[in-house]
Amino acid sequence: MQDATAVPKAGENVWLWLTKIISGLIVFVVLTIHLIVNHYVAPEGLFYYDDVINYFKNPLIPIMEGTFLVFVVIHSSLGLRSIILDRNPTQKVMRVVDTVFVVGGLAVIVYGIWLLVYVAGLG
Amino acid sequence: MLSREQQGLNWLLQWFDPRGRSIGGLAFILNRITALGLVLYLYLHLYYLRQLTMGPQVWNAFIDSAENSPWIGIGELFVIAGGLIHGLNGLRIALNSFNIAVPYQKQLFYGLFTLALIGIAFFAVHMFGA
Repeated sequence: MQDATAVPKAGENVWLWLTKIISGLIVFVVLTIHLIVNHYVAPEGLFYYDDVINYFKNPLIPIMEGTFLVFVVIHSSLGLRSIILDRNPTQKVMRVVDTVFVVGGLAVIVYGIWLLVYVAGLG
Repeated sequence: MLSREQQGLNWLLQWFDPRGRSIGGLAFILNRITALGLVLYLYLHLYYLRQLTMGPQVWNAFIDSAENSPWIGIGELFVIAGGLIHGLNGLRIALNSFNIAVPYQKQLFYGLFTLALIGIAFFAVHMFGA
């Protein structure tokens, strides 16, 4: 069974590949915790405004959600980069792709953390 | 001679074409398709969460409209399915990447995929059951 994702591909630095694997594992663990916590803390689901605000009153929740956000953005950016690498792009194209992912990823993380802090502050 | 655009389209279609693929190839396609779906969901989710900053009326009205749409429930099930398939298949890839259980990767794929299907069925019954 050949699996093209189990080894670094051409143009993929071994550290980026390792980061993709480890961030994926962290996302898996945090997502599992997130589902369990949601099930026990909010069995009816996180729906209405007051439910969301109450959920974020626990200081561990923004930390957990923030950790999830950072690692999911890293994992998804590196995963999308791998898909683009399948197309055998030139180094020039990859430089643009890398810049877009770094700037875009940082922007998403900053926006997400701001949103978390804002919502946690409403409690 | 195919144009550059046609070559690009053929490449994309081949990428999603499951015919004649080995089980490893199918696992690869599944991983990529679920990854793209989950990335799309992630960014839509972050975009819609901004409505929390607009106050309870805006957020609650948004939730009400979402609850009344049958597409939201179907979409949620797709997210759960994508998360389970990508997460469990990803776990196999991570194990294999660290040289763990490499001779058993086929069995691992079948086992984890079955687990994902059971999980999807569980959530489907939980969400849409009586």
